Parts: sequence; C-alpha cells; structure tokens
Amino acid sequence: MQFEVLATCNTTRARVSRMKLPHGVTLLPTFMPVATQAAIKGLTPQQMEGLGVTLILNNTYHLNLRPGIEVLREAGGAHRLQGWNHNLLTDSGGFQLVSLNKFTKITEEGALFASPFTGEPTMLTPEESISIQHAIGADIIMQLDDVVSSLTVGPRVGEAMKRSVRWLDRCIEFHEKSGRNTVQNLFAIVQGGLDPVLRDECLDEMVRRRESVAGYAIGGLSGGEEKDIFWRIIRQCAEKLPADKPRYSMGIGFAEDLLVCVALGVDMADCVFPTRTARFGVALTFNGPLNLKLGKHAKDFNPIDSTCPCPTCSDRISRAMLHHTVTHETAAAHAVTLHNLAFQARVLGQARDAIMNGTFPTYLRRFFAGYFGDVGYPEWCVNALRSVGVDLLEGNPNAKVVKGDGAKWEYSDAM
Amino acid sequence: MHSLRFNVQPPLSSFSPRLGSLSVHRASENTTISVSTPGLITSTSRGVVPHLSSDHTRVSDAIRWVHVPFESFLELSPPVPTLHPGPYPLHACLGFRPNRHVLTLLLRDPADDRDMPPNGNSFVSALCLRGVRKATPDEWREHVLSVQPDLVVALSDIPYTPGSHSQRRITKSLERSASWLANILRPLPGQHVSAGAGAHPLNVLVHMAGGTSPAARQAFSQSLLEPLFDKEAEAIKPLNSLDEGVVGYTFDLAPLHKSFSSSDPPPRGTTTKNPFMEAADLFSTRPTPFATAQIISLIRTSLGPLPAIKPRIVHSAGSPHEILALIRDVGVDLFDAHWAQRAADVGVALDFVFPVPPVTEPSDAVPPPPREIGHNLYDKRYSHDFSPFADALRSCAAAKRGDTRPSCPCMACSPLRPSEPLKHSSVDEALPVHTPMPYTRAYVHHLLHTHEMSAHTLLVLHNLAVLDTFFAGVRRVLSERPEQFSEEITRFEQTYDEKLGVLAESRKDWNEVTLARGRGRLVREREKQKQDALETAVELE
Repeated sequence: MQFEVLATCNTTRARVSRMKLPHGVTLLPTFMPVATQAAIKGLTPQQMEGLGVTLILNNTYHLNLRPGIEVLREAGGAHRLQGWNHNLLTDSGGFQLVSLNKFTKITEEGALFASPFTGEPTMLTPEESISIQHAIGADIIMQLDDVVSSLTVGPRVGEAMKRSVRWLDRCIEFHEKSGRNTVQNLFAIVQGGLDPVLRDECLDEMVRRRESVAGYAIGGLSGGEEKDIFWRIIRQCAEKLPADKPRYSMGIGFAEDLLVCVALGVDMADCVFPTRTARFGVALTFNGPLNLKLGKHAKDFNPIDSTCPCPTCSDRISRAMLHHTVTHETAAAHAVTLHNLAFQARVLGQARDAIMNGTFPTYLRRFFAGYFGDVGYPEWCVNALRSVGVDLLEGNPNAKVVKGDGAKWEYSDAM
Repeated sequence: MHSLRFNVQPPLSSFSPRLGSLSVHRASENTTISVSTPGLITSTSRGVVPHLSSDHTRVSDAIRWVHVPFESFLELSPPVPTLHPGPYPLHACLGFRPNRHVLTLLLRDPADDRDMPPNGNSFVSALCLRGVRKATPDEWREHVLSVQPDLVVALSDIPYTPGSHSQRRITKSLERSASWLANILRPLPGQHVSAGAGAHPLNVLVHMAGGTSPAARQAFSQSLLEPLFDKEAEAIKPLNSLDEGVVGYTFDLAPLHKSFSSSDPPPRGTTTKNPFMEAADLFSTRPTPFATAQIISLIRTSLGPLPAIKPRIVHSAGSPHEILALIRDVGVDLFDAHWAQRAADVGVALDFVFPVPPVTEPSDAVPPPPREIGHNLYDKRYSHDFSPFADALRSCAAAKRGDTRPSCPCMACSPLRPSEPLKHSSVDEALPVHTPMPYTRAYVHHLLHTHEMSAHTLLVLHNLAVLDTFFAGVRRVLSERPEQFSEEITRFEQTYDEKLGVLAESRKDWNEVTLARGRGRLVREREKQKQDALETAVELE
C-alpha cells in the first residue's frame, strides 16, 4: 500500500489522502459500501464502478460458508468471482461470529462456534481467519479480534482487548510468513470498549506494531452506545493513531456520523445502512432521509434529488413512481440503492474537496444546516465538532439543538 | 403525436410465416423506433421491467417494445400516471424513453390467469394490491387519453371465473368485448369525423375473444368486420366497421393454456382461494404440443376472415417451441417475453439458438438426447462451473476467430464498462482500465443460494437477450432461406427438449431456497429495521 496525505484541515483533524492498493487508487475519506455475500444487493459491479465507487467490502464469515474457500480459490479470489476489478476489503469474521452465533465460545486458541449448516463445532483461529482472507484475496484484510458488545462492562472488556492484541501478533506472524503481505494489507483493530483507559492501553500496544500493519480500524463501537461516548472514543483513537496510516471506523454509515468521524481524523467507514434502508424505501438526501413509502410522495413527480448524478435521479425516476414500486419490486430497491450509494459518495467527495480547499468547517455547517436545520442539530454532533474547533451554531445562535442521538427519520404511514 | 406503421412482407397465404417491421414515428421528436418482426415484447410489473433499474432497462437492446398493464395504478384515484405533466406522460412516469421504447397499455396483466370476480356489463375486474377494482370502458378511455401510450389494448371480457363457461356466458363475452372496443374507437375530442377512414389515432389493438369455442371466435371476428348502423355507426364515425379502426390483433394464451391443462388434476397445494398468491405460482402451466395445436387452430379461426396485413400479437406463449409453431402455422408477428422473464425469476439462464448450428458428426451417428433450453443455476452441478451462462452463444471472453456462435450482447455475458464513472471530488482519479469478464454460472449459483437479488438482474438481462437473438435467427432464416424454415424448426425440436423440465426443476429449487430463508423474512427484516432505525448499529444483511 502507498499512503499519502494530500491535505489536512486547518481547523479540524480531517485530512484527504491517496491510498494506492493493488487494485487501484482510492481517495480518502471514503465510505465503503458493503457487499456481504460478494454482491452489493441488486447491483452489478459495473453499476458500482459507474457510481464512482473504488472500494467495497466483503464479509469473510459469509464467504467462508458460501460459496466456500474451494470455490473462491478456483475462481481466483473474490475479485474474479464477483467481477469487481477495484479495491476490496474483507473483515475477519470475528464480529459475525459473535453477532450471528449465540453459542460462540471464545478461547485463547480462537472462537469456537457451531457451524450454521451442520451444527459441527468449528474453531476459527486468527491464523485460520487470515488464511481464509488470503483465499478471498482482498486488498485490505482485517485481524481477527475478540469482539464484545459495546454495552458490555466489567473484566470481559479488558480481557477481550488484551486478547485482540495477542491475536494481532498471531495474525501478523501468519500473514508475514505467507508472503501475501506484499499484495494484501493487514489492518489492526483497536478494541477496549467504552473505557478510555483500556482504549489507551490497546492503542499503545497496537501503535507499537506499526511497522507490521498497513492501517488501523476502530472497532467495538456503533453497538448502541451513547453517541456522546462514541465520539469521544473515536476522537481518542484517531488522535493517537499514527498519521501515516489510514484510520477506519467500523460500522459507521449515517451521514452525520461520517462527517463527525472525518472531522475527528477518520479516513474510512463502512455500513449496510444506506443499502439496507434503500430496500425499505428510504432515500437519503442533503435535506435528510425521505421515506418513499409515505403517501405524501405518491403524486410527486420530482426525482429524489434533482441535483444528484445517480442513474435514478438523472433518468428522472420520480418519487411517485418509486412510491408505487418500493418494497414491491426489486427494481425499486435497486433504483434507491444506486441513489443512496451516490449520496454517500457525494457527502464524502464534497468533504474531500472542502478539505483540499480549506473550507471544511463551512462545508460542515452547510451540510448540518441542510440536513438537520428544520428538526434541530443533534447535541452530540455540536459537541463533537466544537472539540475540533467547529461551531455548527456559528452565525445561527437560535438554532435548535436536540438531545439524544438525533437520527432523523421519517416513519412510514403505509405499513 | 405519433404514427404507427406495420410493413409486412406479403406472405404466401394468410397463415404463412412472415417478416415485417413495426415502427412508431414521433413527428415532434423526429425519431422513428422500429421493431423487426417476428420479435419480442418485454413484460412489466407495476410499470417496471422486473429486476431492472432504469439504467439497465435503457442499455438492454432487447427492450424496445414494452407492455404495461395498468391495473396496479388503480390503487389510487386518479391513477398516478394520468397526473404526470409534460409530453409522453406514460414514458416519463415509468422511466422509459420516447426515443427508444414503444409502450402498449393494457388494463390487465395478460399472464395473470388467477380466478377473479366476474366482469360486468360495463366493467372489467382488475387486480391491484388493495384488492379488486372495477374499470369501466369510459374510465379506460380517459386513462388512455391522459397517459398517451403508443398503443392500447381495448378492454375485453375474458372470463377468469372457475369452471367451464356456458353458451350464454360466451355470447355475453363477445357482445361486451365488441361494445367496449366500440367505446374506445369513438373519435377523439377535436378529431374531424370527416377525416376519412383509417385506423383510429389511439392505435387500438383488440384481443380476439371467443375462448376455446371456434364458433364464438368466428362470430367475434365477423362482428368486427360487419358494417355498423344507426347509433352504433354514429358513435364510431368515420369508421364503418370496428375492424377499420383496429391496428392489430392480440391473443392471450394464458386462459387457453389453463383450459387445455385443466383436464389434469391440479397438483396438491397449487390451487388457492387467495387472489394474492405468490407470483411464482402463476408459472404452473406449460404448453403441451396438444395445447399448442389447439391454440393454432383457434387463432386461425379468429384470423380467417380478417385482413392479413395487421400485426398479430401473442401473449404468454410458453416456450420457444410454441413460439416457432405459432410463427410457422399462423404467421404471428410479436410475442411477449413473459416466460423468459419468469425463467429468470426462478434462476434459469436460457441457452438455445435458432437455427441450431450444423452438426459435424456423421449423419449415421446416434443423435444426442434432447438438450434443456437453459440451466437451472440453483443446481449443485454449477457450483464450480466458471463458464459463461450459455454454451450456444458467445460471451465477450471467447476468441472471435473461428467461433461462429452468435454473440450474447447481454450485460452478463458481455458486460460494458460504464462510459463515464461519476467523480465526486476534484482529486478523484480515473479508474484503471480493465476488460470486464463475463459473469459465471458459479457466481450466479452462489447468488441464488444466498438469495442475492443481483442474480435475477443478470438473468433477466441475459434471457431477454437470448430470446432477442433467437428472433433475429428466425428472421434470418425467413429472409435468406424461407423454404428451410420448417426443416429448421424440426431440427430445433429434436435438439431442445420441449418438456421444459429445467423450468419445473428450478421452480422447485427456487421455492426451497425461499422457504429456507423463511416466508416471513421481509416482515422480520422490516421489524428489525424499525428497531434499528434509531441506532447506528452495524446491521447485518
């Protein structure tokens, strides 16, 4: 990997970087759409390419189950299997082991779980995870970590953090011995729950291994913790992670979360949110999400966003037509998915331009005014951005600020 | 305004196979869209080609002529497309392009043969998500005038009630169909009734009524030709007969297939009182050679007295075998692609060509057993098969030299790089150039078993292209060596199994995977979505 910081924001910790991987260049900060089972749901790789997406994510846990390593090896890796010639990242499968399997037991050796198909006890070790990821062949691979829910408290959090450090060493050793480290880039995952002391300890240990890893992820968040704690952990991690490596916030997809993370120094994020919410008929716009199921869109012949360059909006597919088809026709899911992924790419593309031009604080204020202006700014966003020198309320002292996580949502009247 | 023209090569007899082209000329756009016949019509559901976003619909060369059943729009009153502002309201509302697509408006989906409440003297029962809607001929005409399709199928009284139909019911069906046709053929507001005879400006197609009764079919055709008198004549002035105003004839095979297969007891569990049954259950009737022979005879009866120069459109033909027979024995011009699109729904990649390439083995060799017309990609045998979808067609990866197979132009077998990928910031770099490879059977096998929707997108694009290429082959034989057309059909029938076992098999596998995922999956996901709506939880797909 070649990683080069092109510009940094004078006010916040945001930066623009150029990350060159074996399958091309990806400009950061970026959002990575999730192709869990080797497909962005409903879309083709050519459509993804057309949207200007250069980096997507596959899930190791899922691909290991189906189609399985043998098929992936025969295909020549996941790029070839799915016809995606650009950059690819795979997670390690640790998160899914915990979230999808009630009976997963973590031992020092690895994670012991029941195969969802045969029920057979199966062990996923750090070495095995890396080996599977080698067969998949992604440009960025992730260490196996010991994941605990962000709501877990007590000694288990510290134990998981320490084990994640030990497992990182095993992943590094296996990866280096395999010789694959020239074509695949291993990222470490910082753990430590919501405890700043544990996070610090983890950061110290992992930063010490900087020569052996290509980048860092911040894990163990976005599991329902309070947003006020979430951003403080992100800030702490982003501050301490080395500036010459990419920083990846796992499981972040709401536009406001993305922009706060970018302002705190994060370069990459992934989430199924924009694609999943599309299938349920929610289109993302710079004025907030639109629930296309709502009756108010039934006779609205405007596109979702007339300034949006995605195929759905540039073909002028109307909100009325989408209202008629969403959740009934897969074609509507595809249409809104195209739009939502273009939206995510635009939010971060415009952030890159603003950082390059030295206008990122203005961009933040403008974005939040458009997105939250009518319903009120989430307080945590105001606080998080103040911590890096941006006052969202500047010039607008009477703006409404709301407590709680502030996610803006239109509920359906048509369920 | 647009004008419609059908040029057909003068055939040897009324029912000979024929070549032609149907074109729509749009004076305001100065464009002409031509569809060569015999050719295909793409079916839609709720106004869209199933599984295709607008960008896929518009790059697919097979999608030129599109049938739009209107019934789903009866959910709201007035129906939403009737409110669309600007020119070409139906095209604009549904996302089709006036310079690329010809749209026919129908009230009902001609493939939907579910039992329905009876029609009345002045309404057709149509089905939408909110239940059954009554559509009157006056409303239908209003909707057509508002949305301005290129062609429209007049309302027709096709009995979809259970059981066989009495003589009285059949007579009534003919009377209603003729009177509803007369209704839509009334002069348009502002149309000069002295403008002289000629087809009606709405480009009206008529469904040929009469069901399985030859006598009724004959009677209906006669009723179209008879000069009208008095009030009836006044209503359709300047037309002298209904047929004068009609641009072509349509034949719905779904009710006929249903009638001819109803002697077999229905398989357990396939009949249901619920009108909202799973769409895949509509896929149950496949044509038998017996049924096709009956249908040919019925269509000939209908067409016998009518002018041969008008296009003949068949809805819901069930196989390429049936299509070939209808071209050979009746001279049908256009077929909807419903069966090929449904095959994509259940995981079948079509793989057949016409004419069948010459066999190189000595003629005394034992002929190979008939092949399936496609691949059930659910089948395990494809899990390690990295070849493109079709053997009979060439993908973009095949070396062209010496390969005489027709190429498959679909986005699955010959994917194209996007011409201008979006850029989202000034620092974004051009993407590295690479040649896309065809999608493989193994990949789609994986997508089908993981319930990924992209599988169906790729399969629909492919199946429409295979069918389009098939029609191109039919036209080539008819143009270059028409005397061998029948012989080529015989070779096709010997090469490809007309039992369509692959469709039945894949339908079973489709069902199993759907069941394994759980029937209530969407509902559960919706619940989950609600719960997660206020969190940034990592949502697992």
